[in-house]
Amino acid sequence: MNAQPLISCRQLTKIYVMGKTKLYALNNIDLDISEGEFVAIMGASGSGKSTLMNLIGALDQPSQGHVTINGNDISELKPKALSKLRNETIGFIFQQFQLLPKKTAQQNVELPLMYRTPRPSNIKDMALACLETVGLKDRAKHRPMELSGGQQQRVAIARALAGQPKIILADEPTGALDSKTSIDIMKLLIELNAQGITIIVITHEKDVAAYAKRIVEISDGKVTSDRLNMEAA
Amino acid sequence: MNIISTVGLAFSSIIEHPLRSALTSLGIIIGVASVYAMLAFGDAAKAQVEESLNSISSRTMQVWPDWNRRRSSQSRPQMPFTEQDAAEMRNIPGVIASTGNLQGSNATIATDTNDVSGNALGVDADYLKALGNEILLGENITYADIEQKAPVAVISDGVHNRLFEGQNPIGQTIKVNNVSFIVKGVVTKADNNISFGNDDIFAWVPLPLARDRITGGNPFVRNHVSSLRVVGQLGADLNQVEDEMDVILRRSRDIKSGAPPDYRIFSSRAWRQQAADSTKTLSYILAAMGGISLIVGGVGVMNIMLVSVSERTREIGLRMAVGAKGSTVLIQFLTEALLLCAISGVIGLLIGFGVFKVTVDILKLTFNFNPNVALLAFSSSLIIGLLFGFLPARRASRLNPIQALRHD
Ligand SMILES: Nc1ncnc2c1ncn2[C@@H]1O[C@H](COP(=O)(O)OP(=O)(O)OP(=O)(O)O)[C@@H](O)[C@H]1O
Ligand SMILES: [Mg+2]
Repeated sequence: MNAQPLISCRQLTKIYVMGKTKLYALNNIDLDISEGEFVAIMGASGSGKSTLMNLIGALDQPSQGHVTINGNDISELKPKALSKLRNETIGFIFQQFQLLPKKTAQQNVELPLMYRTPRPSNIKDMALACLETVGLKDRAKHRPMELSGGQQQRVAIARALAGQPKIILADEPTGALDSKTSIDIMKLLIELNAQGITIIVITHEKDVAAYAKRIVEISDGKVTSDRLNMEAA
Repeated sequence: MNIISTVGLAFSSIIEHPLRSALTSLGIIIGVASVYAMLAFGDAAKAQVEESLNSISSRTMQVWPDWNRRRSSQSRPQMPFTEQDAAEMRNIPGVIASTGNLQGSNATIATDTNDVSGNALGVDADYLKALGNEILLGENITYADIEQKAPVAVISDGVHNRLFEGQNPIGQTIKVNNVSFIVKGVVTKADNNISFGNDDIFAWVPLPLARDRITGGNPFVRNHVSSLRVVGQLGADLNQVEDEMDVILRRSRDIKSGAPPDYRIFSSRAWRQQAADSTKTLSYILAAMGGISLIVGGVGVMNIMLVSVSERTREIGLRMAVGAKGSTVLIQFLTEALLLCAISGVIGLLIGFGVFKVTVDILKLTFNFNPNVALLAFSSSLIIGLLFGFLPARRASRLNPIQALRHD
């Protein structure tokens, strides 16, 4: 493994202040994730999984400690540089898909490329290639409403892929899907991981976590377990 | 995001909500339409007023006996005006024409074969110039004609048409009340403001001939004329001219300064100026009303943009998550507001143009398209878009992406 991990959290703490009470959503977390890993983050509801994910995705700033992504400490980046980091290095997948309902699948996939500078000249082809990767090339002109939940999530994965990110962050990507569809999605993520993309998946379900090579468990803002998953690895 | 895709995105989000966009546009459309119509109307009215202020009638001063004064028992008899008065006034600086004439009522104007009944006037060489008439054929009566009592006449276009039926009348003989004259010129009746009726049947002959043979005159006063008419140069100080006319008249009829005169000087420029001022005020009020409706429309735009931002909170959050910068989101929403206002502005201009055209036709004003007015009305819609689009756009750009993504 490399000396410098792709993602590195040091004494990472996130505090939400509500009135007089301070809530430690993350409490002094140290966590390294190297390039090419497939990590599942598990934990009870409210344990801080999404909070951690948002910090790793440079959508939020820590209260204390540091998050370093691809060599950049996100606390030191200006908003513009954070946008660039999100655009070029990270792809998000959400539980609720978060597709734009009035746009076609292809237009949804094109979105990250629209915000890239310099702007690629072949946005259309890149989007179609990503749709092909998730097996939905023939649905390029369909709107989200015309697709099943599993298909919508695959469009969302294609969108995450479109920016050719190093990291894909998926916050309960199968939370809104039945178990068979969930398995399809996880298999797709494994394929992407095999191509070298680092994948971090948040999940409640053991069946889903079983696909990951490494499982990190969080409870009350602290890492309680961090182990390799021999079956998958 | 480059300009094309920014505008494209703004355009698609406008057409994705057709009803909402249409309702929002309505305020701006009405605002721009009324601003344009009212500015254009004000502009046309101003042009009309300016023309009226500069017209020859506005620069004309007429001197008539003071009819009211005649009734007073203490006053001495009315003194008639003379050709001498007119000649002296011709020398006042800023005067371009000064004329006396003898008013003849109905006269019969005839050739050997035709005759019409119209007006015959005794005039000097300045008379037609003072009325703004233009020579169509031949030439005007000269002071030499007057001195020599030359039996020449200038006729109106109306007489030309009625008596000569298109043939050249110059050099032909006409009879005015059975007195023979040789036609020397034909003129148009240019100034409709000074009219003896709507007919255009006139014959003008040298003053002394008219006095002797047609209209008659005051037998006790040499060179008597019934009224005087003085026209000032464009831009001349007409009040000054009027004062000097007063001096000449007092001198010629021996009225001390301060004593009540037995004549009156009439001019239309005072009420024309008044009309001009009130037209100007009216057009300002109209434009202000248009401006207010535009602002009301702008508030509508802001309201809808705020709704749009809150409706699209998740979309904004997502765009930020995939790498949209705050400034990009700001520009995106501003562009949307601007585009909406620009489209509304164009529609509003077209409607305003129609309203203006109809108003102009109804009021019989001269129609002229002033591109500056159109530009002003259109750019006001863009300014409204920028002004009222900014707050919602800034709100969008400052959304927290995590909270925005959770929004429902
Ligand atoms: N914006 C916020 N303001 C205040 N408290 C918050 C905020 N976001 C999260 N929290 C709190 O932080 C804690 C961790 O929240 P987080 O969303 O990370 O949990 P989670 O592990 O993702 O839960 P779930 O499995 O239900 O999604 C929770 O107690 C939550 O109430
Ligand atoms: Mg969560």
